[in-house]
This record gives sequence, C-alpha cells and structure tokens, in this order.
Amino acid sequence: MPSSGSFESELAALLPRLRRFAHALSRNGADADDLTQATAERALRNRTQWQPGTQLDSWLYRIMRNLWIDTVRARGRRDKVEAPAELAERLGEDSAIEASIDLKRMMDAMQRLPDEQREVVALILVEGFGYRETAELLNLPIGTVSSRLVRGRTALLAMVGES
Amino acid sequence: MTTDEKFFAWLDDELSESESAAMERKVAADPTLARLADEHRVLKARLNRAFDPIADAPLPQRLQAALRVPEAEVVDFGAAQRRRTARFSWSVPQWSAIAATLAVGILVGTMVPQRSTSPVAIEGGRVYAAAALDQALTSELASAPGNSDVRIGITFRDQSGAICRSFAQPAASGLACRDPKGWRVRGLFAAPEGQGGAYRMAAGMDPNLAALVDLTMAGEPFDAAQEKAAKARGWR
Repeated sequence: MPSSGSFESELAALLPRLRRFAHALSRNGADADDLTQATAERALRNRTQWQPGTQLDSWLYRIMRNLWIDTVRARGRRDKVEAPAELAERLGEDSAIEASIDLKRMMDAMQRLPDEQREVVALILVEGFGYRETAELLNLPIGTVSSRLVRGRTALLAMVGES
Repeated sequence: MTTDEKFFAWLDDELSESESAAMERKVAADPTLARLADEHRVLKARLNRAFDPIADAPLPQRLQAALRVPEAEVVDFGAAQRRRTARFSWSVPQWSAIAATLAVGILVGTMVPQRSTSPVAIEGGRVYAAAALDQALTSELASAPGNSDVRIGITFRDQSGAICRSFAQPAASGLACRDPKGWRVRGLFAAPEGQGGAYRMAAGMDPNLAALVDLTMAGEPFDAAQEKAAKARGWR
C-alpha cells in the first residue's frame, strides 16, 4: 500500500481543522475532542472507502458531521460515565483552549442554534466552505443551505452582537 | 433567492460579478443595510477569532495517539505540522492562550519614549517605526536577514491593501503596516520576563502577535519573490 503513509499524514494535517469544526458543533471542548477522535478512528478504519483523487477534507467533514448527528440523537438517553483520571486529564487539556473567553462565548451561542442551522453556520462562516460545497457535503439543495444560513447568523448576531 | 439571502450571498462573495455590483450599490445607498453588513462582518471576524486558534493549536495527546493505529505505518506527524504551519516562517506555540490576552497586548502609544535610537516614534498620535526598526522594515528581507537585531518575519497585505510586516527584536515583537508616513506600528508585544535574547527568537512568534497577524492578513503571506518585488516597488 504505497499511499497509506500519505493518507495518514494528510489526515493528521486536516485534523486541526476538523477539531475546529468539532468545537463549532459541540457543547464543550471535551465533547469536541471526543468527536474529533471518533472521526479520526472511523476514517482510519474506513480508509479504503475513500476514493483517492476526491477531496479528502469533504469526506472527513462528512464523517464528522454524521457522527455528530448520531451523538445528538443519542444525547439524553444516557450520561457518559468517565474514569476520574481520564476526566482530569481531559480538563487539563481543555482548560487552556477554553480559557479563551471569545471561544466560550461563541460556543455557547452556537449551542443555542437549532442543529440544522448550526452545522451550516459552522461549515460556511467558521470553516470557510462555499454554499455549493456545503450543499454537497450536507446533501441539501443550495437554497436550503442559504436560508438556514440567514436564520442562523441572524440569530447568532442577536445573541452576541450588541457591541 | 429572497432579498435577505441575496444580501448575505453578496456578503459571502457568492454572487456573480454583475449581481454583486448591483447589491454593492444598493447597500451603499442604504445606511441600514450598510450597518447590517458591518455587523455581520464583525460577527464573522469574531467567529474566526474564537475558533481559528483551535486549528492552529497543537493536537492534544489523545488525538495524536488516535492517529497511531497498531498496524499503521509510522505517521510523519512532524511533516504534517510543518506543512500546516508553513504559512508562518516561525512556528507558533501556545496558540490556545491567545484570545484571552489579545485585547490587552496592543501597546498604547503614549508610553513610548522619544529618543533618537528608540525603535518607535509618535507622529500625530500614531506610532511609527523609527531608527533601526524603520531601516530593517524598509530594507531587510526575511530570506536574507541583515546584521541588526531586528528579524523580519512575514510580509503580507491587509484588507486595505497596505503591506504589513511582522518583526522581532530581543525585547519585543510586533507588526507594522506601510502608510504614506512610514511603517505604522499596529501592535507591539513585550517579550515575556526571562525570555529575552536568543531563547525568545528560537521560541517562535509571540501568540498575541500571531493572532494579530491572523486578524490583519488578507490572503496569503508573500513568498520570497513577492517580498523582494514589494521591496523593489517601495512597499506600495
């Protein structure tokens, strides 16, 4: 498998961006890193399903988005129990990044958006995808993407935009 | 597309040239729309300022570990990181701490001493590079460092089209952008206590400076050829 090394290094190179997307979708840094980790693991497991020559980033974003939807659906059915040591380690890792007041405020505001608006706002305004790419990624008509984006960013501005 | 959708598509640069020009005129003629456009640009900038440091931060241990599956070949993570940070000529450590301190990091001009060797001078209430700093910004290339203790980092254009250059000295690092009067200093960040001299130079770009660069830069940083050409044109 001559290309496997490059698959992994490309995944590694894209992971920081995916982690940013995860933060835009998730309630907190721990959930975001869980989502990022699950995405990396699924991508490595299913690497043969990726068609070389197609956009690896779109493929990875789609995996993350689908995993996130699963998590959202499962939420409320169970509370995750964590070993104290693991939890402490995770809090240590997150504290630096969540010490950013801006990030905390923006993550909280994003959380108050309906899921279908949040993913569109995250892909276009945070991740910088175009409308068409986003429509393809989410398998939605472009008009739906556009109208969700208007509602999402308008709500977001009302929440954080008093300054 | 509704009128609203068209307005936002214009803001996101998603319209055709002719549609975009029409919307531009409409917004210019309507102060309410113009203000709304500004508010949404600020919102976008705030989102980017909040979330972008994550994409520039090192991955936590467990995510790096997730990439190392048992049967996989060795991950050339170093190479991936080098590619990722290639847009900066210095590596950028500790990104995660940036945003909280950004607001307090920018120097207020009134505290700058007025001496002929001072690296900055105040003109009309604005802080400009002077003496060795001015000289280095004007004449030095990142690809060919000179003898002064000023090191030039990256060169790029800001949203207004002005050329900006980041620089580092043993005691401080900062960002200056060219205007008709010279190199206007946009931000100056003192080196942390006990991190002067060579140690600091090796440690990489101050995270506050890196954040300021990220907020200021439009497009990509100049490569060596673009930097040289910009110098030849007098940084216009």
